[in-house]
Amino acid sequence: MTLQDITTSRRGFLRGSGALSFALLSGGGLGVVADGAEAQAVADGRVTAWVTITADDRMTIMFGAAEMGQGVNTSLPMIIAEELDADWSTVSVRQVDSDPDGVYGNPGFGGNLFAAGSSSLEGYYSALRQAGAQARQILVQTAAAHWGVPPREVTTREGAVIHDGSGRTMRYGEVAALPEPVTTVSQIAEDDLKPRAEWRIMGTDVERLDSPGKTVGAPLYSIDVTVPGMFYAVQLLAPVEGETPTIISDAATRAVPGVEDVVVMDHAVAVLARSFWSAVTGRDALEVSWSSDSAFRNADSAGELSILAEAADDMAADPVIWEARGDAEGALAEGEEVITAHYLTEHVYHAQMEPLNAVASVDEDGLGAEVWLGSQSQTVSIGIAAGTLGTSPDRIRYHAMQMGGGFGRRTVFARDLLRDALLLSKAVGRPVKLVWTREDDVKNGWLRPATVQRLDARLDENGTLAALRHRIAAPSIFEFAFPDRWNPETRRDVLVMEGSESAEYDIPDFAAQHVLVPRQSRVSAWRGIGWAPNCFARECFLDELAERAGSDPVTFRRQLLSGTPRALAVFDAAVEMSDFGNAPEGRAHGLAFAGYKATLATGVAEVSIEDGQLRVHRFWAAVDPGIVIHPQQYRAQVEGGVLFGLSSVLRERTTFTGGEIDQSNFYDYEPIRIQDVPEIEVRLVESGHPPSGGGEIGVPMAAPAIANAVRVLTGTTPRQLPFPQFDA
Amino acid sequence: MINLNVNGQSVDIDASPETPLLWALRDELQLTGTRFGCGAGMCGACTVHIDGEARFACQTRIGDVGEGRITTIEGLHPEGDHAVQRAWIAEQVPQCGYCQSGQIMRAAALLARTPNPSRQEILDEMSANLCRCGTYPRIIRAIERAAQEG
Ligand code: FES
Ligand code: FES
Repeated sequence: MTLQDITTSRRGFLRGSGALSFALLSGGGLGVVADGAEAQAVADGRVTAWVTITADDRMTIMFGAAEMGQGVNTSLPMIIAEELDADWSTVSVRQVDSDPDGVYGNPGFGGNLFAAGSSSLEGYYSALRQAGAQARQILVQTAAAHWGVPPREVTTREGAVIHDGSGRTMRYGEVAALPEPVTTVSQIAEDDLKPRAEWRIMGTDVERLDSPGKTVGAPLYSIDVTVPGMFYAVQLLAPVEGETPTIISDAATRAVPGVEDVVVMDHAVAVLARSFWSAVTGRDALEVSWSSDSAFRNADSAGELSILAEAADDMAADPVIWEARGDAEGALAEGEEVITAHYLTEHVYHAQMEPLNAVASVDEDGLGAEVWLGSQSQTVSIGIAAGTLGTSPDRIRYHAMQMGGGFGRRTVFARDLLRDALLLSKAVGRPVKLVWTREDDVKNGWLRPATVQRLDARLDENGTLAALRHRIAAPSIFEFAFPDRWNPETRRDVLVMEGSESAEYDIPDFAAQHVLVPRQSRVSAWRGIGWAPNCFARECFLDELAERAGSDPVTFRRQLLSGTPRALAVFDAAVEMSDFGNAPEGRAHGLAFAGYKATLATGVAEVSIEDGQLRVHRFWAAVDPGIVIHPQQYRAQVEGGVLFGLSSVLRERTTFTGGEIDQSNFYDYEPIRIQDVPEIEVRLVESGHPPSGGGEIGVPMAAPAIANAVRVLTGTTPRQLPFPQFDA
Repeated sequence: MINLNVNGQSVDIDASPETPLLWALRDELQLTGTRFGCGAGMCGACTVHIDGEARFACQTRIGDVGEGRITTIEGLHPEGDHAVQRAWIAEQVPQCGYCQSGQIMRAAALLARTPNPSRQEILDEMSANLCRCGTYPRIIRAIERAAQEG
């Protein structure tokens, strides 16, 4: 998105409403939208305005990325508010529901409304600063014209314009109510944006604007939506992917009080009722036979792990070369001693706390709908809804709801839940709320696929890492999740392979390779994406290599990182804050360096094993976010990520047999609980690059740091996630 | 018809006595602050008070509540200004927020019974409630704060 000079014409401002809205125009400029009718349209969300200031001095700022707990509803508006020199206490925020004019999309995510890959701050930062700065200029020039003074004599402070010479001031709300707003300002030069030293909002811990609602049980999630006349729907879903219902006996179901209808779908039988509980009771009474010819009947997680292990070792396989520097193949073939190790990560499930659900109300003509969904992407979800109904996106009235956790599960799930809710609503002529029970959510999970990772290395005569090949056997996530964008020629899967580049390490001969195997389950990104399994394997291997080299984890890595000052800064910070290597009696320290795109970090875990019980007592994380917008929430994201990673170490494992996932609910798939939580200390080490996300960086550093501490205690690295049991 | 006492009001519910309290609250009374996480007594997202004690609404049949006084997150404090809610905001606990009604209700019940809980007592009580976002460190701090500031 490039912002050019503003080109809006003044279109008959009717100043009755006294509102001033700043719209980012499709062409890239920032425009003032201010007449009464348009102000109403802004209030209704029909005009794409980033900021609206009303005469009562309230400011509403829109945010594009969907909110799933990561705090973008506060951090993104803070960027605009800072440049606008706003009074934060007057600010409210609103989620962008849709983007027909293509102005709210994340410039760092192909212009789509898509919150994933910790990309929101990075993607929106420059555009939002520019929008805020231009809006401020409009206020300054409008006030200057009103006072009849040169604009350069007008300054702003916390939501007010000020003319020092005459001692006059106006609140922004008063400026918004002036009859003749200036509508043309130029692009603000980078140098004229607010210098860091003058920031009052960015870099502070303003209160999250959604905290009050979240402490009183406000209806924020799609599962809370009630539409008049709505039916509740639950589904008896095909036990195995690809199967269809063949014989259905629903007499007992229809006899359940409150049950209104039974609808047969291609992959499910749906029960529609006056309440969720009636629908569940009705579902329990269904008798359904299923087809039995799906190839996934042969899917088996234990079998997949063996196939992956073979694939990782199959040197005749034709891997995708994800990254290559120098000549790793040559260096490893020279006949000198090659050190090899294998690491395994098992399938895991997202376990977001709000089970998947969708609410849809299809129009009478069947070619439009109102929908309520908690999805990581408004753009994708609207596209799926339009595709389902065979209509155009403008017929979809979309409500982007707060997500009760996303973690990668709520990216393209609309193609199941929203599609089905629309089909059911159309079939019964009613609004429908479709809810998966926890059992449905577990049994139909889109798992982070298992990986087997083979690492081969050679040390030079000084014990320095001279060559490394990181070979990952895994099915493609991308091919399944985004088939339209999958390139079968290049087969490059960013969701599996990112994080395997060892980009900050200076290794003369390096290769990262992806050996693709067919998927045996539904697969998707999981918090930390490829970075988590890939960092786990590499960081464990580096500790093993350090020992072989007669070195230690710190010295060995510092040498490899010496060309990247940013990496060294977080590395040294973590070593220093943890007093690395000096754990109390009976405990040990382990560390891991980890990146997540532009964010770099190092984690240190303090671990003990008593009576076969692994316990992580403390965890230190030093993270370089570039520039931090909201320190406290950034820390909260890192803490949450570390705990997500710890959970994957302790016991998270999904298995499947004959194409059916074996687990059902939190009693056999149990994320960590509060008593497992270590004391976590996060230090932010800002290097000044544009802000980079913090939602995932905690995950990749956790598991290898813990594994490396276990190695100190037991002499053996647990080379798999989750860790094997430790004998008591 | 089943009569319940919810947030100080007597309400009649037209549902079978087998219906879990969770669904009566959410679907019949539109008190959606009590969340559905697992329906199996494993996550605590549905935690309410019955006569001041923390209970899983998904495991409680409306036919079994009798005269019991039910309090949901909506009824914890008329202005959402209970000491625990204040502490939750002060410590900026919520991320996605989905588990937090249940966490707050359990923490409030704990503090009503044990005004100055030890750290171990906090962990023991709160281990019934899952938070996938990983707000646990802040939950502990917020409970300690609420105990102090009462
Ligand atoms: S929904 Fe009741 S314990 Fe999970
Ligand atoms: S805040 Fe998201 S599950 Fe607890």
